[in-house]
Amino acid sequence: MGCSSTKPHLAHVGHLAGHQYDVIVVGGGHAGTEAAAAAARVGAETLLITQKIHTIGALSCNPSLGGVGKGQLVKEVDALDGLCGRAGDWAGIHFSILNRRKGPAVWGPRAQLDRQRYRDFIQSELLSTPRLTVLEGSVEELLVTEPNPEEPGHHRVTGIRLANGSHAISARSVVLTTGTFLSGSLFVGQTTSPGGRIGDAPSSPGLSHTLRERLGLRTGRLRTGTPPRIVKDSVDLSLAKLHLPDSHPTPFSFLNTHTHCKPEEQLPCYLTFTTPGVERVVRESLQLNCHIQQDTKGPRYCPSIESRVLRFPGRSHQVWLEPEGVTSDLLYPQGLSMTMPPDIQLRLIREIPPMRRAEIHTPGYGVQYDFVCPTQLSPALQVKSTQGLFLAGQINGTTGYEEAAAQGLWAGANAARWALSMPTVTLSRTESYIGVLIDDLVSRGVTEPYRMFTSRAEFRTSLRPDNADLRLTPKGFEEVGCVSSVRYQESLRVRNSLQDALTALQALFLSTSSWKKKLPSVPISETKSTLLTGLDLLQYNDVTFEMLASAFPESLSSYMEFAQRLKIEAVYKPHCDLNKKEIERIQREENMSLPQDIDYFSLPVSLSDEVREILDRVRPSTLGAATRLEGITPAAVVNLLNYVRVTEKKKETHRNQRHQEAQRDEELCANSASLPQ
Amino acid sequence: MLPLRSVCGGIWRAAVHTVRTSRGAPPYRLLSSTCDGAPAALADADTIFALSSGHGRCGVAVVRVSGPASATALRCMAGFTQRLPPPRTALLRSITDPRSTEVLDRGLVLWFPAPRSFSGEDSVEFHIHGGPAVITAVLQALGSVPGLRPAEAGEFTRRAFQAGKLGLTEVEGLGDLIHAETEAQRRQALRQMSGELGRLYQDWSDRLKRCLAHVEAFIDFSEDELIEDGVLNRVDVSVRDLQAEIERHLKDERRGERLRGGVQVVIAGATNAGKSSLLNKLCQRPAAIVSPIAGTTRDVVETALDLGGFPVLLSDTAGLRDSSDLVEREGVRRALERVEQADLTLVVVDSAHLPSEVDRAAAFLREHLSSVIRISRCLLVLNKADLLPEKQRQKLDMELRGVSGLPAVCLISCQTNEGLKDFLTVLHSSVKTLCGDPLFGAPTLTQARHRAHLQRCAAALAQYQRYRDTDLALAAEGVRVAVTSLGRITGRVGAEEILDIIFKDFCIGK
Repeated sequence: MGCSSTKPHLAHVGHLAGHQYDVIVVGGGHAGTEAAAAAARVGAETLLITQKIHTIGALSCNPSLGGVGKGQLVKEVDALDGLCGRAGDWAGIHFSILNRRKGPAVWGPRAQLDRQRYRDFIQSELLSTPRLTVLEGSVEELLVTEPNPEEPGHHRVTGIRLANGSHAISARSVVLTTGTFLSGSLFVGQTTSPGGRIGDAPSSPGLSHTLRERLGLRTGRLRTGTPPRIVKDSVDLSLAKLHLPDSHPTPFSFLNTHTHCKPEEQLPCYLTFTTPGVERVVRESLQLNCHIQQDTKGPRYCPSIESRVLRFPGRSHQVWLEPEGVTSDLLYPQGLSMTMPPDIQLRLIREIPPMRRAEIHTPGYGVQYDFVCPTQLSPALQVKSTQGLFLAGQINGTTGYEEAAAQGLWAGANAARWALSMPTVTLSRTESYIGVLIDDLVSRGVTEPYRMFTSRAEFRTSLRPDNADLRLTPKGFEEVGCVSSVRYQESLRVRNSLQDALTALQALFLSTSSWKKKLPSVPISETKSTLLTGLDLLQYNDVTFEMLASAFPESLSSYMEFAQRLKIEAVYKPHCDLNKKEIERIQREENMSLPQDIDYFSLPVSLSDEVREILDRVRPSTLGAATRLEGITPAAVVNLLNYVRVTEKKKETHRNQRHQEAQRDEELCANSASLPQ
Repeated sequence: MLPLRSVCGGIWRAAVHTVRTSRGAPPYRLLSSTCDGAPAALADADTIFALSSGHGRCGVAVVRVSGPASATALRCMAGFTQRLPPPRTALLRSITDPRSTEVLDRGLVLWFPAPRSFSGEDSVEFHIHGGPAVITAVLQALGSVPGLRPAEAGEFTRRAFQAGKLGLTEVEGLGDLIHAETEAQRRQALRQMSGELGRLYQDWSDRLKRCLAHVEAFIDFSEDELIEDGVLNRVDVSVRDLQAEIERHLKDERRGERLRGGVQVVIAGATNAGKSSLLNKLCQRPAAIVSPIAGTTRDVVETALDLGGFPVLLSDTAGLRDSSDLVEREGVRRALERVEQADLTLVVVDSAHLPSEVDRAAAFLREHLSSVIRISRCLLVLNKADLLPEKQRQKLDMELRGVSGLPAVCLISCQTNEGLKDFLTVLHSSVKTLCGDPLFGAPTLTQARHRAHLQRCAAALAQYQRYRDTDLALAAEGVRVAVTSLGRITGRVGAEEILDIIFKDFCIGK
């Protein structure tokens, strides 16, 4: 891990005229940075365009990463060689595993971050990534032309035009990660101004116009908000409950054995609660709060203090006071996102005991922004109707850094593959949270900002944070090309060691009485007259791998570095085995793709009009996605399945015929050529 | 079809492989967990079975089995111990229950080894006699073979597709065929589901979903949000209750078996209420001794009846009273035991013992009932109606019709035969409900399917209890499986539905 400054690949507009890139990424947030880095790793000449270089990698809202469900995403992004896990390990100042007592499948690795360090890490990584160039600028419009007739789609993207000086830069594919900037408006009290983040210029209306008018994409509107930042010295933290980090910080990245921050240097968080006074202030100021009066959909799980108080009145709500960094003078009051006028925000926070005399550094505000209905995307996050156009992050209706990073990585990798004429790749919901995220987006769409929860993953016991590397790193290297060979080799070493260790555990094959002698402290029931393996024993609550290793040092001690992972593997194995069959069934269905250009209304199979309409609207890309649509009957699925099989067969015979004809022609030519003179 | 990807990397595969080779155990050992109700753990694919011919009474019924354990089913049910029969040849065999080796029927068996079968997998067809009792017996016997489970709607066809068995020529007609198949199944399921049973399952499903939502909320939000600790304790209670209810239901709900073995109808009540007279009336012969002396019947008198086509095993029991006579006390104990086991109890009351104020009658009967029976279904028979004045009789009849907390009440007189016809109608319809109606749909098939899902559901709830304190993710997995299993009967449940419950019940804010 390092944060050394290398010679930055910074570009100036003047140098780019006529330059052809493989991939252009628009936006430098969590989605954009992962997209640009992933595209470059896959091998594409990549250009990242952002309004201000120094805000690349900025944490616009909360100073934290990970959590329950989100931590899983961070681990998976890391397993695919993304940035955010390593950046979190570098910038973290308070590490804790949430849900520690609820089972390893739902552990939520999380860290409070130092904003400055996070930004530094991301910027230094990007600026030292080969094939990646960063350009400061604002994109005016997307350049679009006729589609490649060999591929499905109505348009093809050819590049972008910058706002200043109307420079056009061409690229084979473009990834848009505009966050809240697409027709974004900021709300504080009764004032509204265009923009996506306070302090930044609004993005050009041209982009949003192209998407809607030129490409005919359906868009919707969502809202979000952020709390005021509080001056730390003005808060009496002795009145809040101290919350300490884990004494041994666990890094996010599979490549790191420790975090940059030393355990003893970590900073605490503080917990406090709202009072009836808070509710009073919210109610009195409602008429001054135009953000909250509008019915644009906001997130249910990250609501403003206004909606928390209005939906669940008469309660005391949690407020976390979080550090913003080692040297920062500010506190971030998690749970107090608000949009009332600044003077009332001050009144409100002062109703909370530790903040009686608090000062606000920056007021909270709300944002409303356009998103593109994500059912118009393929599982590669490509706009189905537009060849080469990929979208990631809030533009797809999600919320959260981790959700954005995950999509960014996947869109970036696919944009690069598209540009380099390699087939795009998909992740199944049976193998990753990223797959769950993307499948939910593209096959169900969103009605509110989408956030990851562990409950969204059907195969949660198999998709654990501890095994993200086994699930994704080999695939990332072998099939996607977004993983470095160093990481790949490491993942193979881990996989082989775990396999060997499990084999060694199963080779320990003893009677219950022998086990009792070896492990006298473990209550092994005598009634079982059967033989037990070391793996069986490791499934016991009271048995750790360390205990087994000290009983059988010769066969097990070499695997001590994997003690915790082996314990988890052992306990979860029977459940994962049960999942496996269902997973295979779903994967079979997911592997049967439905052509994107099917005319569902004229399809010569037995389908009801209702089903045809649903299929036409959503255009599921696989049979698996079709089965999960509401209103699709088993009969319809069977019919579709049949159709796909038949058309595939036809294509194959057609191809064979063409091939044979070609061969025949060649032979004829050869024959005629060799006719006797 | 594209090749399958291994999800969890090579680890699982390697581990499974080692289990097999290092122990040297035959594969069926791995499957043996199916016997105690847990789903087959390591089988490559489930083997499915279903009644494939039309539903209802018919001459011949075809039961189809498909999947890797088909040969096992053939071996243990058609007595092929050594070699399997020649492929695609009909053979007349005795079809036996592998648990009891009892002969269930004689019929044709056909063996279709893969890939030359409808589904492309190993398949077996049993052509048996089409009576509901035979079909039920064969389906239940198949259900007891390790690795076998009832098929889901359209599953045979799905397998056939996946094996590439259905080609171009089959395409045109197939859509309609499948539609018809699933439509019939849907209608049948609807019919099954619209009644009392449907409401019961729906209620369980709602309660389970709520449990799941609360566990999920506790997992996804409790660290950062205000989710009270009490939530999980309430889930504990609900899960325990549900598990008990489902297990009780599984024990109770044996309509197919009833149809085969006869419905156990027990006559019980106080001494001298006219129980034996009722028995004699029902079987139209003096099967039991009748006398005006209280305590005449001391043992259980059993007689078999055909009640409108349904087999009934009618038992008369000793009158319930405290007695110092040892023999009579034993008779009372046996009577109560019979009542425990009864599918239906006829509680006979001497009308003359009713309170003279008619409006107190319901309360009196309620109390009386609670002294006789606890849970089983019953009918109240008010005997000796001829001893009541006409006016009181009419008033009683009015008063007791559809009173809550009371079963159906019949006012009769074994002396004058008054009310007996109405009583028989009520009894017939109760027995019919208990047996299910074999002439409609295929209750046996769906019953077997329901039973399998309910068993899986109960086993999954046990998993919740097992992991509750050590690993909430695995505990929740138990509830998830339980919800899915019930969902297979009542309709599917998605993650969004669970999230909706979470957000309705909790104030979630980061």
